[in-house]
Amino acid sequence: MRQNQASDKVMDNASHVDWEAYLKSYYEKPQSARTWSGYELKEIYTPHDRVAEDYRKDIGDAGQYPFTRGIHRNMFRGRYWTRREVVGIGSPADTHRRAAFCFQQGGSGLNTIADVTYEMGLDADHPWAQHEVGLTGVNITSIQDMETLVGDIPLDKVSWSLITASTAAAPTMAQYVAVAGSKGYDIATLRGSVQNDPIHFRYCGFRPACPLDLSIKLGSDVMEFCTRNMPKWYYTTVNMYDLREQGVTAPQEVAYGLGIAMCYMDELVRRGLHVDEFGPRFTFYVSCHIDFFEEIAKIRAARRMWARFLKEKYGAKNQRSMQFRFAVHTAGCSLLPQQPLNNIVRIAYEALAAVLGGVQSLHCCSYDEPMCLPTEKGHLQALRTQQILAYETGVTNVADPLGGSYFIESLTDKIEEEALRYMKEVDDVGGMEEAIRTEWLDRRFESEAVTRQKELDNGEKLVVGVNIFNSEPETTTPLGVQRIPRQSAVQQIREVTELKKTRDEKRLRKAIEVLREDAVAGKNTIPAMIEATKAFATTAELLGTVREVFGYPYDPMGILDSPFR
Amino acid sequence: MSKQKIKVIITKVGLDGHDRGAKVVASQLKEAGMEVVYLGMYQRPEGIVKAAIEEDADVIGVSYLSGEHLVYTPLVVEEMKRHELDDVLLIAGGSFPPEDIPCMKEMGIDEVFRGGSLTKDIVDYITENVGKKG
Amino acid sequence: MARLKDSPDVMVRKMLSGDRRAASRLITMIEDQSELSNELMKLIYPHANGSTVIGVTGSGGSGKSTLTDHLIRKFRALGKRVAVVAVDPSSPFSGGALLGDRIRFQGHALDDGVYIRSMGSRGYLGGLARASNDVVRIMEAMGFDVVIVETLGAGQDEIDVIHVAQTCLLVLTPGMGDDIQAMKAGIMEIADIIVLNKADLDGAEMCLRSLQAAIHCALGQEEQSWIPQVVPTVAYASRLEDIRGIDELVTAIQDHQLYLHESKAVEEVKAKRVEQELALVFKDEVERLVFNGLRGTGKKQRYVEAILEGKTEPYSVVEEVLATFLKGDVVK
Repeated sequence: MRQNQASDKVMDNASHVDWEAYLKSYYEKPQSARTWSGYELKEIYTPHDRVAEDYRKDIGDAGQYPFTRGIHRNMFRGRYWTRREVVGIGSPADTHRRAAFCFQQGGSGLNTIADVTYEMGLDADHPWAQHEVGLTGVNITSIQDMETLVGDIPLDKVSWSLITASTAAAPTMAQYVAVAGSKGYDIATLRGSVQNDPIHFRYCGFRPACPLDLSIKLGSDVMEFCTRNMPKWYYTTVNMYDLREQGVTAPQEVAYGLGIAMCYMDELVRRGLHVDEFGPRFTFYVSCHIDFFEEIAKIRAARRMWARFLKEKYGAKNQRSMQFRFAVHTAGCSLLPQQPLNNIVRIAYEALAAVLGGVQSLHCCSYDEPMCLPTEKGHLQALRTQQILAYETGVTNVADPLGGSYFIESLTDKIEEEALRYMKEVDDVGGMEEAIRTEWLDRRFESEAVTRQKELDNGEKLVVGVNIFNSEPETTTPLGVQRIPRQSAVQQIREVTELKKTRDEKRLRKAIEVLREDAVAGKNTIPAMIEATKAFATTAELLGTVREVFGYPYDPMGILDSPFR
Repeated sequence: MSKQKIKVIITKVGLDGHDRGAKVVASQLKEAGMEVVYLGMYQRPEGIVKAAIEEDADVIGVSYLSGEHLVYTPLVVEEMKRHELDDVLLIAGGSFPPEDIPCMKEMGIDEVFRGGSLTKDIVDYITENVGKKG
Repeated sequence: MARLKDSPDVMVRKMLSGDRRAASRLITMIEDQSELSNELMKLIYPHANGSTVIGVTGSGGSGKSTLTDHLIRKFRALGKRVAVVAVDPSSPFSGGALLGDRIRFQGHALDDGVYIRSMGSRGYLGGLARASNDVVRIMEAMGFDVVIVETLGAGQDEIDVIHVAQTCLLVLTPGMGDDIQAMKAGIMEIADIIVLNKADLDGAEMCLRSLQAAIHCALGQEEQSWIPQVVPTVAYASRLEDIRGIDELVTAIQDHQLYLHESKAVEEVKAKRVEQELALVFKDEVERLVFNGLRGTGKKQRYVEAILEGKTEPYSVVEEVLATFLKGDVVK
């Protein structure tokens, strides 16, 4: 009886197939031949479509100016890309544990990410921070937290990327350098990077922490300090990625990202540094979105544009200055909570584009990011995606395997041309700083984001699980949900409160006074921050002191006064 | 007697500043003929409810992204109850695991729209449910 | 707690006793041009007197909201309770509106001494002016010391809106020099105080001079006891210390209020407002009366056809219709 019912059901299902729809689907062809950014493509590309005339001048071999094909001659034969995962969860101790897990699983780099409170420059005991400490990353309030985070990780061996983007990157560097010093490392040997791109971070919800002049000042302080003291350190990762996540197109990502990079470079030149002192230390964070060829073309165009700008506009002589070094983070905004396992496939395609584009360092999103912070299983899946790419697929054998394709070269030219057009547009409103100050760029982002939503709404862009092939919403997340233990936050807040009661007040005040004087005198603030952090000055205290000198409220949220008055 | 225009408060709450989704939804609801009051970032539950009262809002839409939904939802709901806003729809948008949706509804959220929602879904829900609560 | 089913007098009583939700619902009914609006306003009107009403107008992006935010802060510091009605344009296509002024007023998000209402300009039959005037009356009845009306300066409708105010601020920015030349006399009609915002931009000096020249020129034509003041301001700057002119602006407003009271011009301003209210309500009600009377008779269509055929024109039609209606009404 039961069997009968089951077979009835199968029969029933088959008879419910819509055969008209089947026929339609059989003969279906793509509705559009546009790239994600909206560029109409031809049916086929031929030698006539090559815009770049001169191979040597416009393309060149990998490792040769203008580096269109890659910054190293033999690319991955020399070394795999760095396989990173971003870690930041709960307390410094929780984060340390997850980082160690990623290393155990074969990760070759470490990215630790700050939580919203740290990025905003708030201590864990700030009244607004209590609900959010450790929720989206790690909060470092004092040097003690940095010590816990570092633990026994060998700082001269691992490539550590500190993802603090806002003006809090200055305290981050101070805390990191102070901890490294206390552990006996020569800071000149430290390898890794700090994101330190406060200008762009105003677009990620951190405007109170990132006023434009303070962003340029503190961002450039970190860059200048590291140029002089930490030759192996990459001290800015200009974040094109976050701009892309706002909804802009591929060439806009390049144009606005390079525009922001130049804000810092112009300041470093004003400070008397030569382009070849800082050029080799600039790195970029690039998105890899879902349009495979367009993303590869975008990366190649960005490489060529950077090389030319550095050589022609800034007068770089050193080839290393002209090399566009970049990390890719697969596009978080391309992932969806609907049919979440599909995200694993999206991430894999995006990672493949990054590798074919010649990436130096790759972070794959976890499939569960549209639902929660990455679970351990999610992290592992993302890391394995990279490892399959690196060890199984053979994509590492040849540099720029798509170079010379009529289509790819033509699309590279197209993206470059469009990006240059967007840069010209910025110049026309008075340059990047002006475009930011007048909120011209804000309006740009807003209108692009609305356009992206409309494309989904009207079906101009098809996304599986959203406007095609929908299914019943899931009720569970396939590999579980990451929860942040609230106990960690409570503990962190308690420790910070305790520290503030027990530290040597006199030593602290003296160190803060030196920092204030240096800021007033227009000196680089990092050395004084390092000393103050050793005296247990906290993130908010370091930043607040400099903020006041620049005429901003001590507390970015405007509710606390300086304790040093 | 029903109101001529649906009035919607769209807001972020807490420190999370991922406001792209909130702004897009605000703009799309306007195009659907609603009057949308956008509060912006760094709102506290008390301020959101005060705005809803002053604007005589029919709907409050809160945008979450960073896992703060379980923390702030009860605070917003409690504040709404304190002011007897029992006929105002409370909807949430953003990133959260499906496991949390029943829990959020139990807390007092009327409907949830995650990433990948189409404007039509949100507009239809509001139009069909506005004025029916309480 | 205010409910839709409450009768007008209950709603109004609740509003007068400080129920903000009732007040907000009453404002909605005014916005919606509810059938009850006249009844409501009859009840509210006697209580609505005594606030200092300030109008702020200027083109989009001139910094009106930011200036209003400063004014709220300053008046709060003086112990005044402040209400704001901020009007933004509605989309002519969808009828919806994105009302973003509250973003600029975040500093008062938790202050019970401040009441803010955003309002879409919609497509009001009798013009936006009547609705916003009624909203201001409600805010006055709520007992606010200061009521600020903020509206986009885009034509006669907005100018009517601003006539509600005793003290009118026109916000300009440098680079509007040509417009100023064209406006000349018009400025005097609108503004008691001209705010030159973004005074740190290039061209501010020149703009200031041409403004003063324009005022001088207009003064020559007419006897005027109040000379519009020009106040340069920098309402927005990321550093607090770069914000300028706000205290001067508040002083100018206080000066103007003082002038109104000392010269008894305040009575004149109040009379003018009542005159305008009367005109607005008349226009609205007569229009409504006439169109309601014509509804279902098919006459309206016949008039249109007759005009199209060249048999008559709108002027004679209106004369004819009004004659019947007014007579009919008088007879009734």
